Amino acid sequence: MAAHLDITGVSKRFRQSMVLDDLSLAMGEGEFVSLLGPSGCGKTTLLRILAGLLRADAGKVALAGQDLGPLPPHRRNIGVVFQNYALFPHLTVAENVAFGLKARGTPRGDIGPRVMRLLEMVRLAPLASRAIAQLSGGQQQRVAMARALAVNPQLILLDEPLSALDRKLRETMQVELRRLLRELGMTAIFVTHDQEEALALSDRIAVMNAGRIEQLATPAEIYARPASPFVLDFVGQSTALHGRVLTSGLGLLVVQTGLGTVHAQGHFAPGARVLVAVRPERIVPRPAMDRDWTGVELPIAAQTFLGSRRLLHGDLPEGDRAIVELPARPDIQGDVLPISWRIADTLVFAAPEAA
Amino acid sequence: MIHRLGIAWLAAPACIFALLVFALPLALLLVESLRGPQGWTLAGYATFLGSGYSWQVTGRTLRLAVLTTAICLVIGYPAAFALARTRGWLQSLLVAALLLPLSLSVIVKAFGWTVLLRSNGIVNRLLMASGLTDAPLRLLFTETGLLIGITNIFLPFMVLPIFTVIRQIDPRLTDAAATLGGGPFYSFSRVTVPLTLPGVVAGGTLVFSMSIAAYVIPNLLMGDRYQTLSTTIATSFLYLQDPQRGSVAGVLLLLLSLLVVVGSVVLARRARAAP
Repeated sequence: MAAHLDITGVSKRFRQSMVLDDLSLAMGEGEFVSLLGPSGCGKTTLLRILAGLLRADAGKVALAGQDLGPLPPHRRNIGVVFQNYALFPHLTVAENVAFGLKARGTPRGDIGPRVMRLLEMVRLAPLASRAIAQLSGGQQQRVAMARALAVNPQLILLDEPLSALDRKLRETMQVELRRLLRELGMTAIFVTHDQEEALALSDRIAVMNAGRIEQLATPAEIYARPASPFVLDFVGQSTALHGRVLTSGLGLLVVQTGLGTVHAQGHFAPGARVLVAVRPERIVPRPAMDRDWTGVELPIAAQTFLGSRRLLHGDLPEGDRAIVELPARPDIQGDVLPISWRIADTLVFAAPEAA
Repeated sequence: MIHRLGIAWLAAPACIFALLVFALPLALLLVESLRGPQGWTLAGYATFLGSGYSWQVTGRTLRLAVLTTAICLVIGYPAAFALARTRGWLQSLLVAALLLPLSLSVIVKAFGWTVLLRSNGIVNRLLMASGLTDAPLRLLFTETGLLIGITNIFLPFMVLPIFTVIRQIDPRLTDAAATLGGGPFYSFSRVTVPLTLPGVVAGGTLVFSMSIAAYVIPNLLMGDRYQTLSTTIATSFLYLQDPQRGSVAGVLLLLLSLLVVVGSVVLARRARAAP
């Protein structure tokens, strides 16, 4: 069966820089995929290409089996929620939501009820006749959602829609947004540079870097099995040590790092430069107990108290980093802490060049 | 409230100045228009409004102002967009092209146009060299020539207010309109036009009130035979020694431009309130 949205080999170049580099992505109907990456990784460019606001240099985009290439934005059935909402300041809340319906020539009698239904869905019905300037940021965000959803698009694109909101409101809106899109069975692409947001909302995450998708997988998999040092670094926290493979055999590696030897599962030739890593919550504050575990002695640089938990930061040479998540109590005494984790939890990557 | 009044005092010097050199002479003008040899009278108005020639002059003045405003709007609106949406050196160039002519006196510019529009002037020579015409066109002392000149001189006053308004509009609004299914014309008429309306009204009233009262430009490009309300004022005072006729024309000119300016502002507000 063909995918609902099928992006194949899309490239885009601005002057000298390659913004999108032969990017492909396929999505099922009703799926929620996040494009996660640092600013400048090409995620907004991809969004604009999908919406038809920008033309790709190469590649093909098909939605529900139809090639979008020749269609201008107003002929594509794709809703967009812009980063700063781009609400029409001269129209009321209800008129903003009605805009797309009127533009598509929906019969007059159908517009009013449909607008009210959407405003109820985003819980803004009492504010229907307000001016946009009278709304709070969270309310404006909901108007933008209702406006994009009003025309019942085949795909909705969300460009960092929550980034302008404060942290608390953001978390509430995340839940609401997910509920709304699930209820409607809407296929959605969500652009964000906030990894927590991506982890919380997505069916799948596409981690983007320099115009390419580094990894496309479920949030759990992205976190547990990052495909590259970039993904490891960008999603979640981690301890990461550079090292050299000492011995290798039967899928078991012994890696010499700045803190001593670390065991990992993988296939690298002896002498290879690698990066070994482990997620903070996998680490326990005691020496390695048996053959399934591996550990090091960690010099402590600082502790961060977070209420329910405590983070320890390791004192390591440039390029390496260590972070351990522990319960808030008991206090950690001394400058050095023995730490260990299961060998199966050690992540190992070919060392990035010149890192 | 007290605070507001406190701030309002800052306008006091400007208000006093306007009162002395603007409102007071206007009041005197009004008095003059209503005074006859035997005291207060409406005779001046009766004479002026009773003459077909006066109506012709008034009509011509209005026609000139309306045409100038319309042409400036048609040329200036897209120019304002280009100005607001370009970046870098191109924008600087366009801004310079718009603002530099403002530093030249109106008289110099109007005189410049008389040189350009002459039958052996550059405009005619170019037209003939390019083969568009065989004989020189009569441009100077025609309404076409006048409109070319006056549009050139007043155009910046249309472009600047529209440019200022466009710069404050989020360019993504048209993107948003497009993704909602609005074609280019729909987006333009439902988003761009309503949002730029305040700039259009500001530019329109500026150009209209300046061109309805223009004196130097019609005088230099059309000569004495082409009388507008403002040239009539001058003729009445300077040549005909008829201060009452001049005052009446002055008051009528003021009323006309007030009517149009206030009317367009009110209309624009109403259009905004009920889209």
